[in-house]
Amino acid sequence: MERDGMRYLDREMSARERKEFEEHLENCPACRESLREFSRLEALTRKVKIKDPVDMFWEGYWKSIYRRVERKSAWILFISGLILVSAYAVFRVVRDFGAFTFEKAALLILLAGVLLLLISVVRERIHQKKVDKYKDIER
Amino acid sequence: MTDVSQETLLAWKRGSVKAFEEIVDATRNRAYAVALGLVGNSEDARDLSQDSFIAAHRARGRFDVSKPFFPWFYRILRNRCLNFIRQRARRKEISMDVLMEKESPAASPDTVLIGKERTERLWRALFRISPEHREIIVLRSIEELSYREISETLNISEGTVMSRLFYARKALSAALTDLGAPLVKEGDDAE
Repeated sequence: MERDGMRYLDREMSARERKEFEEHLENCPACRESLREFSRLEALTRKVKIKDPVDMFWEGYWKSIYRRVERKSAWILFISGLILVSAYAVFRVVRDFGAFTFEKAALLILLAGVLLLLISVVRERIHQKKVDKYKDIER
Repeated sequence: MTDVSQETLLAWKRGSVKAFEEIVDATRNRAYAVALGLVGNSEDARDLSQDSFIAAHRARGRFDVSKPFFPWFYRILRNRCLNFIRQRARRKEISMDVLMEKESPAASPDTVLIGKERTERLWRALFRISPEHREIIVLRSIEELSYREISETLNISEGTVMSRLFYARKALSAALTDLGAPLVKEGDDAE
């Protein structure tokens, strides 16, 4: 019943298979009763559909997707640029360190902040990956 | 199963925003319907379908244009919906009035009322069974996908489709009984 019953109910059997299964049903009251129950359920579920939302529901749907895609690209460019500028600044500070000035101290604090933020984001991502029980599902 | 033309998919892979918009327009209703079938709330289904389109756009480099779009996209959408269900385990808000009976030309007001009660009971029962069972019933009985299409969409064998449908239908039948709505005999309801 588990497989043949479902295939019969969902019309996934060939004409020959249907005939054979019907012959089996004639001699098996348990399968007949079970199939009757499944048929009632299928009749109920086949009658329904998910309502199409009203037009207003779709207003702004595409625009919102587009804005978010655009913003994401902007963030990627911004962060890439920030990393490059930071790396260049570190290089310059190390190369021409000289006297410890106010500007250099401010720059070092800024860079330390950026570095800490990056470490924090990476650590959170790694943690999420470890505890995500759906990580094996193909994305 | 309606899908997107290969020409549009190729243009999208090359980065065309217009092609991406066409894909979203062509598949958003189905995306929303299957997400709603999984999470039960129309606002959440809308947000999750949008998130999934964005994720699909970012991952388009991995999409094989010789294959249909929707099964590939469905896996992204499904993953997001399952994650969402897991996170909101304690807060279940299910939209009512999202399911309707397919049109019956001679339906009287009484029949419409009975139909509305029946669809609401079915919807509530669907959210008493597991997401995996709910999903396969939505794909087969409401979205009317064939076994082969379900097998491709969920990346499981047709044998698994049959056995999952069997247990899902048993669970749904039990849930309807729990709700005090055991299945009525076919033909008992006025059409």
